[in-house]
Amino acid sequence: MEDSKTLYIDYGKCIGCETCEYVCRFVHDMPRIHMIRTATGFMAPLYCRHCAEPNCAKVCKRGAIVRDRDGAMVLDPMLCRGCQSRQCMLACPYMAIFETDKGVTVVKCDLCAARRQRGLEPACAAMCPCGAIEYVDRATAESLPDEAAKAAEQRVLDFVKPPKTKPGE
Amino acid sequence: MEPMNFNFQCGDPPPPSGLSLGIVGAGPSGLAAAGYLSCLGHAVEVYDKMPKPGGLMLFGIPGHRIPRQRIEAGTLRMARQYGVVFHTHTKICCSAPLFEEEGDHFCTEVKGLGEMITKHEAIMIATGSWRSRKLGIPGEDLPGVCSGLEFLFPIRAAHYCAPGVKAPDVGGKKVVVIGAGHSAVDVAHGAAALGAASVDMLYRRTRAEAPCGRLEIERLEAAGVVWHEGCLPKAVLGETAATGIVCQQGGLERGFEADLVVAAIGEVATPPFAKELGLESVRKGEVRWLNMTAIENVFVAGDALTGPSKIGKAIYSGLRAARSLAQWLDLKAQNRQTEFTGDELISREAERFPGGDFRDAPRVRGR
Repeated sequence: MEDSKTLYIDYGKCIGCETCEYVCRFVHDMPRIHMIRTATGFMAPLYCRHCAEPNCAKVCKRGAIVRDRDGAMVLDPMLCRGCQSRQCMLACPYMAIFETDKGVTVVKCDLCAARRQRGLEPACAAMCPCGAIEYVDRATAESLPDEAAKAAEQRVLDFVKPPKTKPGE
Repeated sequence: MEPMNFNFQCGDPPPPSGLSLGIVGAGPSGLAAAGYLSCLGHAVEVYDKMPKPGGLMLFGIPGHRIPRQRIEAGTLRMARQYGVVFHTHTKICCSAPLFEEEGDHFCTEVKGLGEMITKHEAIMIATGSWRSRKLGIPGEDLPGVCSGLEFLFPIRAAHYCAPGVKAPDVGGKKVVVIGAGHSAVDVAHGAAALGAASVDMLYRRTRAEAPCGRLEIERLEAAGVVWHEGCLPKAVLGETAATGIVCQQGGLERGFEADLVVAAIGEVATPPFAKELGLESVRKGEVRWLNMTAIENVFVAGDALTGPSKIGKAIYSGLRAARSLAQWLDLKAQNRQTEFTGDELISREAERFPGGDFRDAPRVRGR
């Protein structure tokens, strides 16, 4: 787990060009990373962090989201029955599980499982023109963000989960 | 910095297939297609009018947004490891007279399409969108009025020492930028950084509607750019050169002094031989084979087909066209091309991505 790799996106470097989403679409047919445009007009890709303590796996009654050998959280469509309660989508703090109109109707990133089998890195990281997406081990991912990246990440998270304001504020 | 991996589909280079393919245009779309096709072992040759492969990723978008090294290293890797040959300074002629599009002055060699078709088994046109849209107002042909690309382009291209290319001289000048897209933002930042006396940005709608987003506008204002919204340009003033611009703002006419007016209001696609290749019907999805033009072994992809879009869409279009081309080559090798003409699956696939958005895009919570 400690030496496993994960995806890290520097929102400060991202220019919102959508290469990650479209490359993901080309590889997986249904993208598992999704570019959003916020009300204030900045673009950011929502992506799975393959958390150390993943909420999605905790809430799934079928146990359909499991950690694989490389440390990626993978959705097993054999176990998922596409329940309408969408617990996993609601539980994800990064809004990184997506609803679709195909199969079990949810998709999530598996760090390009089939590509990893062949010794390749996730396609989005390979093709991001800005070098904003890195496939790195968890310790590095934690040490990577600089001040600008942290501020940008906070802007995205504030959009995903708006900070609570007291009534009258 | 790690190179951009255009060959992300494969690990080591595959054995050669013995087929030669040509790609016109080395932007995101052409490079993605070159990566895909070279991963299948085809001998790929890429033609581009610019001095370096990379297209607008290198020459349009400023280096602080897309690192130049990442693109350069990516194309170099493709050339060294996968044998892709890049012919720079080469233009495949021509829907527009030479020197009408941005960047034409770089090209030293002009090749015809016929030459390409006989040389290569198949070719792909991924020439992008290079002609700047015009304002359509009086005075816009005066010296001192230029397009977003005309302004941005030399800043980047000056790195590559082409004769006659200099970064725009805006020191001490009053600059007016029209538009609020990402290239307008880059122009305004560029002008401020190059020492303009003042930079005014005019947009016909409001801040909330600006394509670049409110955050970018706030950043511009922090850099000293003055933002004016609801400003519709009416005429560029001046006798021999631009001295100002008149706009309509809220029913009133308002003038701005300007030594340089930059209209960053978008580009239009200029693919070579649009009519002969029947690109209009490809665009509408009336196709025999995905991304194939009226000429059987000529394919088209990217902004040349769809009009200006984003890097992501251009890459996707290039990858899809490359896959389609590779499948057609397989069939052709077995002499079975006719079996699939008018196949329903193909038209369905073409409709799925006409270039705009997908109808089956993923959805996020609460949207």
